[in-house]
Formats: sequence, structure tokens, C-alpha cells
Amino acid sequence: MSALTLYNYELDENSYRVRLLLSMLGIQHEIYSVNMLPGREEKSPALLALNPCGTLPFIEQDGTVMFGAEAILAHLARNNDASRKWLPIDGPDFTATMMWLGFAAGPLQAAVKAREVAVFAVGGHLERLKAGARAAFRIMDDHMVLRQIEGKDWFAADHPTIADLALIPSFALSRDFNIDHEEFPALRLWLRRFRRLPGFITMPGIPDYH
Amino acid sequence: MTSQPIWSPVALSNMVEPSTSTGAVVNGAELVVWRDSSGKAHVWEDRCPHRGMRMSFGFVRGDHLACLYHGWQYDTAGQCSHIPAHPQLEVPQTIRMQTFAAAERNGIIWAGATADANAALLPAERTGLVTVRSLYADCTSAKALKVLAATPLPGSADAPTVEAITENYVSLTSGPIRLLVAIQIMGEEKTALHMMATEGAPVAALARYAQDLRLILETPVAEAA
Ligand code: FES
Repeated sequence: MSALTLYNYELDENSYRVRLLLSMLGIQHEIYSVNMLPGREEKSPALLALNPCGTLPFIEQDGTVMFGAEAILAHLARNNDASRKWLPIDGPDFTATMMWLGFAAGPLQAAVKAREVAVFAVGGHLERLKAGARAAFRIMDDHMVLRQIEGKDWFAADHPTIADLALIPSFALSRDFNIDHEEFPALRLWLRRFRRLPGFITMPGIPDYH
Repeated sequence: MTSQPIWSPVALSNMVEPSTSTGAVVNGAELVVWRDSSGKAHVWEDRCPHRGMRMSFGFVRGDHLACLYHGWQYDTAGQCSHIPAHPQLEVPQTIRMQTFAAAERNGIIWAGATADANAALLPAERTGLVTVRSLYADCTSAKALKVLAATPLPGSADAPTVEAITENYVSLTSGPIRLLVAIQIMGEEKTALHMMATEGAPVAALARYAQDLRLILETPVAEAA
């Protein structure tokens, strides 16, 4: 099998989601750094030929391209995690894992866009996006409050899944668009827990603490 | 402006783990609440004397809080003790944090209005309490009090019995359930409610009740009528 190549941009949050799982599962890979800003290289004819959506990240292996961060996470977990924990395919936790993965791709994208507007100065209505991000964080915090009462530490299972991994970056980066962590105590504890997992890596905007 | 309480709640005790920090706003003033590695809680102004970075973004090293920006470290008295760019330097006594008194009572971290706030003015100690949650809502504290007094607790159809323990700490009772709510005035239209209950209370139901409360708290009064 030929090497897996990740097409990504260092400061792009959705690219970080995939880098994070590659690191946590210890998957061999090569990186192609796309000049997203200011070059908009992901929209160039050469890259559109690979990923017609013109989005990041995407991966390529053996001539097959896969786009969409959540689909890539599920694909990588399915093929590289023998414990079946990161993507609990057969167990009862599958439903909640997919639901929160969908949440990361849906309502939580307000946070991804808010950060892009705040950090990259791309067009967008910052206040509206921030309100959407805050609403999403509240839904997550409410969920983790109830999980904690049940004695559970993670979103969908008794152990971290790709749902936690997909949700973490937006909260960890929220200070980039001026949403602080103090209103979300349960998410604060969850983030701290996740940071201590083996293979966790940061990206610019998520402090390293040393 | 109304007089400020001597002690304001800033977080639930078990939501701030040892060796971590968080921000908290009291009447518009930004504070950092942090626990050293021994578990002791501290409350300071949330501003690094160096260049004004928020200390709540920083990190705890043993019994020091370090600033995220240039790594200046402050000891538990708020005195700067280490400047990484000048490791040999004997740091002048004048580089220090504005500190506030910090106390833990009934599962809550309370911040004093000053460094020497009188601990005798803290609410009386109660044992056998369990954590429910902190709830943050965009509303005045007056509205929060009104809604708390009017909303039935889980399992009841009637408004609870309300007892004001202090001006910012109320007890709500309904049958066997007693909910203690510490009210943090963050700003004109921002309030946090830190909730603990007596042992044996249905904690999950109370957490859901709190979640529902937020909808009422944030509904404009004209529409709610
Ligand atoms: S601003 Fe805190 S160390 Fe420089």
C-alpha cells in the first residue's frame, strides 16, 4: 500500500482534526502543505482535480481521494484502530458517536467559521457566527454536565471516540474568536482530560503549556 | 449602584481541578480563579502586570501561576518570582498581582471584594451537599431571583419555599428536595447560578431543571407575559 498523503493547511481547524487522529493512532503519513492563505491553492485546477469540492482537508491513498474531515476520521479509525474504540462500530455507542460527529460537521461549524472570520479576516458575520458557536457550546456543556452526573467522562462512550476528537478543536480554539471557557465548566474539564491522552498534539492557538 | 456583596461565588469547587485556572467576572471585574498543586484556591485580578495578558489563559506550575505570554511566574502571594528572559534577576517586590481573598464554603469558591475580606461574613457551613451544576444566563440577578422563586422544582407543581441565606445565596425547598443557589453577578445582564443540593436529591433532574430555567431567564419579559 502506498503512503497516505494528507492535504492540509497548518492553521485550518478541520485539517487539525485529521492531524490529531493521525497522531493519536500513530498512523504513518505524508503531508502536503496547501497554500490556503493567501494562495487559495485548494481551489487551483491541480487540486480541484483531486478534490472537486475545493475544501481542506482531504487525503489520498493508492490513487483514491477522500474529502470531508468527519468521513476521513471515521475511515481512519475503522482501518487503523484494532480496539474498535475510536469508532465503536458494533457496540451500542455507535449511535451517539455518529450523532455527535454530525454535530461537529453541523451546528459546530459556526465556531469554525467564526474563527476563520476572526483570524483570517475572510468575509462573514462575526457576531451571528459567535452566537451560533456559543449556542453549540451550550448544547455540548449541557450534555457533559449530565454525562458527568452519570459518572461518564466522554461524549458518546466510556472512552474517547472520534466524536470527542471532532468536537474538541472548536472549543480549544474558541479564544481565537473571543469566546472564553468560563461559561462552560464541564467542557473545560473534558478538554483537560482529552489533552492528557497519548498522542495529543496542539496547533497554533492551542497553548502547549511549557 | 447597589452595594457589592463582600463575598461573591465564582465557581463550583469541583469544577476547578488542582493545577488549573479559569476566568470569572464579578460586576464587570475580570478575575482569575486558580488552584495550586496542593489544591488551595486563589483569586487574583485577571491581568498580568507585565503586558496585561489574561492570567486565566496561563498555566499552573506547582504553587506558581505562569503567564502564557512571556512566562512570568507568580507565587501564591501574587508576587512575581521568576522572569524567564532574565533568569538571574532578583525580581522587584513591586511586580505583583492584585489579590483577593478566596474561600471555599458549601462546595463553592467565593471571592472576597478585597484581599482581607472578613471570613466571618461567609454563609454558614453545611455538610452533605452534592454538586448540581453552574448555569450561565444573559439576565439580571433580580430576574434570576424572581424566576427561581416562581419555578417549581422537579417533582412538584408548586413554587418552592424560598429562604435568603445571604443577599446572593438562596435556599429553595420543595418536599424533600433542597437546592442551594449561589448567585454571581457578572454584569448588568449576565448572571451565573452555582447550584448544590442536599444529599439524595435527584441531581440529574435538577440539572435538567436548571437547563430549562435558562430558557425562561433569557426570554424577554414582554414576550414571557
Ligand atoms: S504579559 Fe504576562 S509575562 Fe508578559
